[in-house]
Amino acid sequence: MTITVEPRSQLGARGIPRVTAAQMAEVDRLASDEYGIGILQMMEQAGSHLAEVVRHELGGDLVGRSVVVAVGSGNNGGGGLAAARHLSNRGAEVRVVLARPAMRSSEASRGQLATLLAMAIDCCVATYDVSDDELAAAMGTADTVVDAIVGYDLGGPPRDDVARLIGHVVDARRPVVSLDLPSGLDPDSGMVSGIAVTAAATMTLALPKPGLFTAEGPRHTGRLYLADIGLPPSLYHGLGLDVGSLFATGRIMRVHQDR
Amino acid sequence: MTSTLRPSSLSEKLGLLSEVALFAGLSEEDIADIGHSTTMTHCTRGQQILSPDDPPERIHIVKKGRVRVYRITSDGKQLTLDIHDKGTILGDMQLLGQDRLPEAYAEAIDDAVICTITPGELRRLIERHPLIGVNIIAHLTRRLDAAERELEAMAYHRVDQRLARKLLDLGQRFGVKTERGTLIQARLTQQELAEMIGTTRETLAHTLGDFRRSGLIDTERHQVVIRDAERLSGIAEGDED
Repeated sequence: MTITVEPRSQLGARGIPRVTAAQMAEVDRLASDEYGIGILQMMEQAGSHLAEVVRHELGGDLVGRSVVVAVGSGNNGGGGLAAARHLSNRGAEVRVVLARPAMRSSEASRGQLATLLAMAIDCCVATYDVSDDELAAAMGTADTVVDAIVGYDLGGPPRDDVARLIGHVVDARRPVVSLDLPSGLDPDSGMVSGIAVTAAATMTLALPKPGLFTAEGPRHTGRLYLADIGLPPSLYHGLGLDVGSLFATGRIMRVHQDR
Repeated sequence: MTSTLRPSSLSEKLGLLSEVALFAGLSEEDIADIGHSTTMTHCTRGQQILSPDDPPERIHIVKKGRVRVYRITSDGKQLTLDIHDKGTILGDMQLLGQDRLPEAYAEAIDDAVICTITPGELRRLIERHPLIGVNIIAHLTRRLDAAERELEAMAYHRVDQRLARKLLDLGQRFGVKTERGTLIQARLTQQELAEMIGTTRETLAHTLGDFRRSGLIDTERHQVVIRDAERLSGIAEGDED
């Protein structure tokens, strides 16, 4: 039996359009308002692909591997929660740590969390439900930590609960797979003010963000993957972007930083 | 409620009650009347305030301290749902337009004071003091406003609003104080700044020009100086000009 490794399709970063945080917000809006592609649909794709990248990063098999999924309260966190379900379905031992109390999460994320609770997956809120020592022990012994704390809507240096959870991920010194971009990295400038995750691999969604390639971006991003969340090329025309058939050879592409 | 302690004195009870927004605008006499028909509980850290086994349709007002609302997961662990502080109304809130959280527990995470009212008591209070009804309407309006603001934040903001936000954000992260204001120490072309806020270079140049003429900013050699952060914040918040 051969194991098919999907993220084998490779691309050079040059020539792939990049989208700023504001453009990505517009992409999300167009997807939902003009094309009827809802946030849950995109979240599902993101979560499923992220689980696949984690499998790939762990050498091809998830059975019995321990994964701590660190999630924020936005839709990036929701992608992490969807990934937690896929990872568990595929045999990983999953533990989910939320940065903030559950009711502070976006509506779509709360839906994902409800599913995880029905699956009896271990979910807790950092600081309130688990001691710092216990959290450090869980993350420090995990095979991989998934970082789905903040996405492209960073909006300034991480603060409070979010900064604390990023701190735990940084201190754990385990291989990290980040969703969309390493939490704390500015999506536009690639700069870090405050604290940011340094990932072994990052799976960015739809199109890469400029910050992954500039300033401190490359050092924090690690191996870069680009994942398809099912948005039609015509959607990007509204923003003056021509993406072509970017995912013609695979839905998860390995992107090489141009030297 | 696990243990209900009557407060040591009626005045303490009255003093605390006057802070509850529900009772805003009522006279001391009215509040004294209310004081006789509600229960105040002093809770120590970790003390349980709410449980799914409580009698239905009671509301609890957090008067002092912070309260953690949680549920028990299938493996018996706690999952924190929310943290509430002073002024929050908890419990079975159908009277206040909100459903009861299923299977929710609540405990004090600081020393807390909780005021408990049954629906019957609340109805009687509203009949006697219609101002409480008005305060409930104000409370519901604030909740609706907050929900609308959230919706608005999710929608796309105007270009001037987005630019104001981005400049304030850049100022916070890369700004240095100078005599003229906060200098953003990042050299950005208009094209780069336009892309950051998802607009065209032409629109950005026009908006920057407006900001400059209004005395909000200065621009020189690809750098921006924020001259009036307060008014810029007003625009970022969506105030009209």
